[in-house]
Amino acid sequence: MSESNKVILLVEDNPDDVTLTLRAFKRSHVMNTIAVARDGIEALDFLFARGAYASRAKDPLPTVVILDLKLPKLDGLGVLRAIRADERTRLQPVVILTSSKEEEDLISGYSLGANSYVRKPVDFTEFLEAVKVLGIYWLMMNESPPERKRL
Amino acid sequence: MKISTKGRLATTTALVTIALIAAMILWANKEVEDANNKRRQTTQLTRGLTEVRLVTFEYILHRHERARQQEQEVSSRLQRLIADDTLVEPAQREILEDLRERIATTHRLVEELVPNPETRSDEDKESIRRFEAQLSSQILMLQQDSVANAFRLTDFSTERINAAQRRVETVILFGLGLIALTTVGGAWLINRNVLAPIHRLEQATREVAAGNWHYKVDVGSKDEIGDLSRNFDSMTHSLRMSFAQIERSNQELAALNQEIEAFSYSVSHDLRGPLRSMDGFSLALLEDYGDKLDDEAKDSLQRIRAASQRMGRLIDELLGLSRVTRAELNLKVVNLSQIAREIADSLDQQQPPRAVKWDIEEGITVHADSALIQIAMQNLMENAWKFTGKTEQPRVHIGSLQADGKKECFVADNGVGFDMAYADRLFGAFQRLHHESEFSGTGIGLAIVQRIFRRHEGAIRAQAKPGLGATFFFSLKEPNR
Repeated sequence: MSESNKVILLVEDNPDDVTLTLRAFKRSHVMNTIAVARDGIEALDFLFARGAYASRAKDPLPTVVILDLKLPKLDGLGVLRAIRADERTRLQPVVILTSSKEEEDLISGYSLGANSYVRKPVDFTEFLEAVKVLGIYWLMMNESPPERKRL
Repeated sequence: MKISTKGRLATTTALVTIALIAAMILWANKEVEDANNKRRQTTQLTRGLTEVRLVTFEYILHRHERARQQEQEVSSRLQRLIADDTLVEPAQREILEDLRERIATTHRLVEELVPNPETRSDEDKESIRRFEAQLSSQILMLQQDSVANAFRLTDFSTERINAAQRRVETVILFGLGLIALTTVGGAWLINRNVLAPIHRLEQATREVAAGNWHYKVDVGSKDEIGDLSRNFDSMTHSLRMSFAQIERSNQELAALNQEIEAFSYSVSHDLRGPLRSMDGFSLALLEDYGDKLDDEAKDSLQRIRAASQRMGRLIDELLGLSRVTRAELNLKVVNLSQIAREIADSLDQQQPPRAVKWDIEEGITVHADSALIQIAMQNLMENAWKFTGKTEQPRVHIGSLQADGKKECFVADNGVGFDMAYADRLFGAFQRLHHESEFSGTGIGLAIVQRIFRRHEGAIRAQAKPGLGATFFFSLKEPNR
């Protein structure tokens, strides 16, 4: 899989945050496909190729899932729990990107097996920097787990 | 029955017993005296009877006129003596009657004796002699019986004296036994009704003092101690009720507090989202359309960004304040000097560098939560650092002192200080005593500091003068030894 084929799944319900995150990736020269899920259920549908994403059955899993914690229907921690509970996505890299830096959220996130926890800064310049580092790290530096079998 | 009533009863019983014994002794004494009197009289009677017997005998033998006169004299004395009924007990009245009769009869018979039988004829003599011999033996027999009866009367009196004495002994023994019994019974009653309940009450006060609010004395007696224990039980009952009420209120308060915390937490997070959008899209405008905007428009966009960022910081600090409130306390001995030294070192490394002279007393320890005390010291020392920014030779002194037997620590600076008139506003959230253009900051630092010391059941106060610096004194609850 070439670097440009790598897909990032962004799970974020706030359209402003989606726009800004996409903008930040663009400005960091991350040209990869960024799929966006607007709630927890949609995120799981994407990962497990269900419902509207049934056609993805043959496609590889995203390189990294960027997960907000406050989401409609199923919250971020619920999504993470479902990812870790399924054999297919057990090793899926997940980065929590959220407003909260509450100890409780940090502990829950890491206990459920998050690979990283990044807090969204209010200052967009800082946010840009954070997204840039995330992109470089997960797309270029980090080695993904070996290709997993999909149903 | 009340203890005072019991006490009065016991005293009365003892007094009545003593009075009874005294009365018995007096009565027995009188009895003995009376019996002695009677014995003396009966002895007199016996002596009189013996005397009459002697003179009668003499008269029978010699027929002297003197003996006859003596017999008459003694007989009349005896009759006088015996005429008194009180001489004997009613039970012996019969004997007395018998004696009277015998004495009278004896005297009459003596009177019948012929004064001088020698003057009579022989025939007469013979019959007189026979008659007199018969008479004499009758008299002597009567008199012997009388003496025997008199002895019997004496014996009765003696017997009466002995009986009275025996009775006195019995009464004294019985009385002493009663007093001893009263004493022992009183002691037992005092132990059972007074000392034992008092011991239970004392035990109860100790239990309640130790926090066992459910302990009941439950002394059922109707006396003063029963009243006391019932009052004690009702007191602990009301205490328990008020305590339960307080506990309920506390729980409600805690629930309410938690709700407020949860609310402020979620509001703070939700507020950050729009701020991010404001800042992000302002920057997007500047970046994408910067060439089409004039300087004023760019300045406005910059102001929007600055304001958003500032509000973001305010929210972060509010969250910090709420975290300080919610954090669990983990109390241990903390080296304050070391914490201060580390904070001073990190402040010294800030850019641009400043030459603040740190004067940190060695070996200050406090009993506190290490993480929270660190936050408090960070805020206090950052303030000292900040407000000495315009001072010629900035100096910050961290030390401790003993005031009213309590240890107080302090952070003193020689910075701008402030007017003590505003001191009451110092520790309120978002309260500032200086313009932000002069000294940056959100105004929440001291609110966090105060909350930290409050959580430690400690206190913080400030002393300052404009231009001369400020000193913050704080104390923490000392651990119980």
